[in-house]
Amino acid sequence: MLSMTNISKVFQTDEIQTHALRDFSLQVNEGDFVSVTGPSGSGKTTFLNIAGLLETFTSGSFLLDDINVSGLNDKQRSRFRNEKIGFIFQSFNLIPDLNLFDNVDVPLRYLGLKGKERKERIEHHLDMVGLASRMKHLPSQLSGGQQQRVAIARALATHPRFLLADEPTGNLDTHMAQSVMSLLEDINTKGTTIIMVTHDNELAKRASRKIQIKDGRVSELDKVIDHDIDVSPQAIA
Amino acid sequence: MFFYYLRMAKISMVKHWGLSLLMILAIGLGIGAAMTTITVNYMMSANPIPHKSNQLFNVQLDSWDVNEPYFDDGRPPAQLTYRDAMALMDARKAMRQTVQSQANAVIEPEGDDSIPFQVSARANSADFFTMFDVPFIYGGPWTRQADESKEQVVVINSEINQRVFGGENSVGQTLKIAGFYYKVVGVIDYWNPLPRFYDISTGAFNETEEIFVPFSMIAEEKINRSGNTNCWKPSGDGFEAFLNSECVWTQFWVELPDNQAWQEYNDFLTAYVQQQKAIGRFERPLNNRLLNVMQWLESMEVVEDDAVMMMAMSLMFLLVCLLNTVGLLLAKFLGKSGEIGIRQALGASRRDLFYQYLVESGCIGVAGGLLGLLFAYLGLQGIDSLYGEMTRGLTELDATLVLSAIALAILSSLAAGLYPTWQASKVQPSQQLKSQ
Amino acid sequence: MNEIALIFRALLRNKVGAILISLQIALTLTIMVNAVFMMQERHAQMQRPSGLDEANLFYLSNTIFATDYNQEVALRDDLELLRNTPGVVDAIQINAIPLSGGGWSMGLQTEPGENQSSAGVAVYMVDDHAIHTLGLELLSGENFAETDIQWRESGTTRWPAKTIVTQAMAKELYPDDWQSALGKTVYISQTQPIQIIGIVRALQAPWNGWNGVERSMLVPYQMETSNSRYMIRTEPGRRDELMPIIEKALAQSNKGRIIRGLRTMEETRERSYRGHNAVNKILTTVVFTLTLITGFGIVGLAMFSINRRTKQIGTRRALGASRSQIMGYFLIENLMITTLGVVIGSAGAIGLNIWLVNTFTLSPINPVLVVIGIACIYLVGLLAVLYPARKAANISPAIATRTA
Repeated sequence: MLSMTNISKVFQTDEIQTHALRDFSLQVNEGDFVSVTGPSGSGKTTFLNIAGLLETFTSGSFLLDDINVSGLNDKQRSRFRNEKIGFIFQSFNLIPDLNLFDNVDVPLRYLGLKGKERKERIEHHLDMVGLASRMKHLPSQLSGGQQQRVAIARALATHPRFLLADEPTGNLDTHMAQSVMSLLEDINTKGTTIIMVTHDNELAKRASRKIQIKDGRVSELDKVIDHDIDVSPQAIA
Repeated sequence: MFFYYLRMAKISMVKHWGLSLLMILAIGLGIGAAMTTITVNYMMSANPIPHKSNQLFNVQLDSWDVNEPYFDDGRPPAQLTYRDAMALMDARKAMRQTVQSQANAVIEPEGDDSIPFQVSARANSADFFTMFDVPFIYGGPWTRQADESKEQVVVINSEINQRVFGGENSVGQTLKIAGFYYKVVGVIDYWNPLPRFYDISTGAFNETEEIFVPFSMIAEEKINRSGNTNCWKPSGDGFEAFLNSECVWTQFWVELPDNQAWQEYNDFLTAYVQQQKAIGRFERPLNNRLLNVMQWLESMEVVEDDAVMMMAMSLMFLLVCLLNTVGLLLAKFLGKSGEIGIRQALGASRRDLFYQYLVESGCIGVAGGLLGLLFAYLGLQGIDSLYGEMTRGLTELDATLVLSAIALAILSSLAAGLYPTWQASKVQPSQQLKSQ
Repeated sequence: MNEIALIFRALLRNKVGAILISLQIALTLTIMVNAVFMMQERHAQMQRPSGLDEANLFYLSNTIFATDYNQEVALRDDLELLRNTPGVVDAIQINAIPLSGGGWSMGLQTEPGENQSSAGVAVYMVDDHAIHTLGLELLSGENFAETDIQWRESGTTRWPAKTIVTQAMAKELYPDDWQSALGKTVYISQTQPIQIIGIVRALQAPWNGWNGVERSMLVPYQMETSNSRYMIRTEPGRRDELMPIIEKALAQSNKGRIIRGLRTMEETRERSYRGHNAVNKILTTVVFTLTLITGFGIVGLAMFSINRRTKQIGTRRALGASRSQIMGYFLIENLMITTLGVVIGSAGAIGLNIWLVNTFTLSPINPVLVVIGIACIYLVGLLAVLYPARKAANISPAIATRTA
């Protein structure tokens, strides 16, 4: 379903070559809730960006839904992101000029849905995160936790198969973090595959599968018995 | 998606209203200034008789002083001597031809209490009206026969007809002009070619005359000629001597239907000049010109230097305004890098983003264009009030100009928006999405 | 010094923005300098004295339509009526009006003959009251005597024996010593001798765009013409009151003619230079708006660059940069951008001037003007960046510690 094999990402500046990922391999199956931990600068975010088709990689192969994404052009990649991937970020990344309704509307526009269906989906997802009554509010009028819930609603509105979360609770207090986490678990049980980057070990433990990235390589920390996990041999450092 | 982008543009423009206003104002001022000067130039260089400007030709013969050319650049005199004009007229080698001169006269209406008044007049040949498509309300031109037999006939414009005859059909009535009685043969409708190509010797943008009489009335001394007279050689005393002098003061036009006719007429002119050389006139090298209306206007440089200079200035002004807009748009769009990154993550392709921001640039352009139209209108009003009647008819916006103003505005702002938009769509999403 | 290098490197990272403002500044300078130059030229032309007592002069046209009309008698009667009207200083018949655009010109030459070079001169046909009526200043020689005045029949090509010329005309004929022109016999219409009996300081020709506009001559002629003009000088302040009175008196004294086209010399001057005036006003507006737009452009871009760098500026403040150092940063940045613009703009200004000189026969620009323009541009740039720079200086160092 998501299969990375020997992915390398090298940032090249005039003098220095930086290896953000080296021979990175990972297999994620449908319905997984994968937590990714690792020290700062280990390549967590690079991994997530590549997984979300926001960044290209230098070498290796990456299959998403059995499609080799390295051969896609910008338009096809955008389509992929739009239809199959939802993003949640540490800093929420709502568009500040748009109200909640319009924020959730953004990916649906690119999806090309008709007005009525867009409206239904937006209302449904905002309702799901408990913010239906504040549709006309601007993000700046909400608390951090509320903003993150809007971001989740926006990410889910397109019915993505994957949800990529980059430190989704990083800017939230413990209480808020718990509630966002519960929401993610809830989403996962309904079938959405989640990959979550976090530095919070407590949260990481709540995932069905935990991996760690160190120096651009992956290591499996914990196998959860319920799931059938296939870790490719290269992944062991 | 277009309407979605329109709405996004609106939100963005309202959010950054100061900046948007500055850009709209800049484009508006630039377009306004450019359109104002373009209008004046466009009007000055307009084709006054589009459907047949290629068949009407002004005749120039170089009868000037052998020691120095008429114009410094060697062009022959802009007008003809009376004797040459009469010779060409008598030859009748063109399909139609007219000799003409500006004149003026006093009209004395009938009735004891009526007050005499001065009118501008033109003395011309019968063909004048047909050649230049002069529109008639009543009657029509006089005949060539009338020219030859020196009949006292007159064509008047509708204002004079209103003033003297109360707007009635006055054909057949008599009119006392400069002490002589003339029979009215025609009343013309409003007719105002701009530039007044058929005689630009006293200004290319003057009004058309109020009355028209046969050219022979000048030689008969029944009407006073006026206009521009240039001499290089002293003439003898008396009017007869003046008519036979080397002074140039008549305008001569011919209508030639095709190239062959042009060629034949040109050959005829050459032959005429050769023949005159044989009797000691035309000492300068052969230098005839047979220019059509637009060539003629161009060679006489009817578009004033000031107008061209102003247009150059205003186009540079527009350029400054556009640079201003490019800079501000660039700043604005780069300020939106975050949003652009988010949109990319949510599925927008570069093309989607390019389109979205182009729509926003376009909106600013349309708003600027509309404002520019307003400024152009005000600018033209301003020019009108600064120049008074000197810019008669030169400061009117027509549909072509309005449409081109809007087109210019949109094109300019799209051009201005292109680089910033391209830059915006090149934003790397991954760098924008990490904590800001 | 290190600081300046730093600013310069930061600028290089945002090349496009900086270049855009520089180009804008360059074009502004180009237009500004040339526009001011053109305005100066026009202004100087308008400042040339006409030589007339403009404030108290007006004229009118006398159009005769009656066929039984003794013009000689009528002219004498008219002038007598005019000169005896209370409030009128003097009046003449004249063939053309200075600065009006329409008139008569001839050539004068110092040697007789067909192939001699001649100097163009505007001809005014007047009587011995002309100097008094027009308010001319006789520099040397004498006025016409009453006996010099001849009756000029329509269509004649003969010229009187005497003339009074302007100083400029005397200089044109005798470039080495204009005073020597007095008493000299010159030739009009190639061969007819005419003696210069007086020289007046100034009297402009009818055509303000002619490069010989200062060259005029008076000849002692009263004209037979169905369309003559009377020039009337009134006592100071009485012109407007007398105009309708005189119009009426003349019209009533003789029914065989139309009195029309009354116009003051002041209006004639205004009409004559209306184009110049209009161009100057338009250019003033252009320069003013242009400067404003460029100024606001600088403000807008500076504000944006500061907004984007808020955190960076806060961090600098937190690390110990003073307010004035932050302000200095933006002022120096602006100075660099302006300098680039000024360098390009100076070249542009001279380039545009060369084009104007070649296309419209303008004269070359005065370099001092370019220097003044540069100073103005620096001032505008400084003023424009002042507000954003102060805003930047007021950014709190605490910004640095905030995350979002």
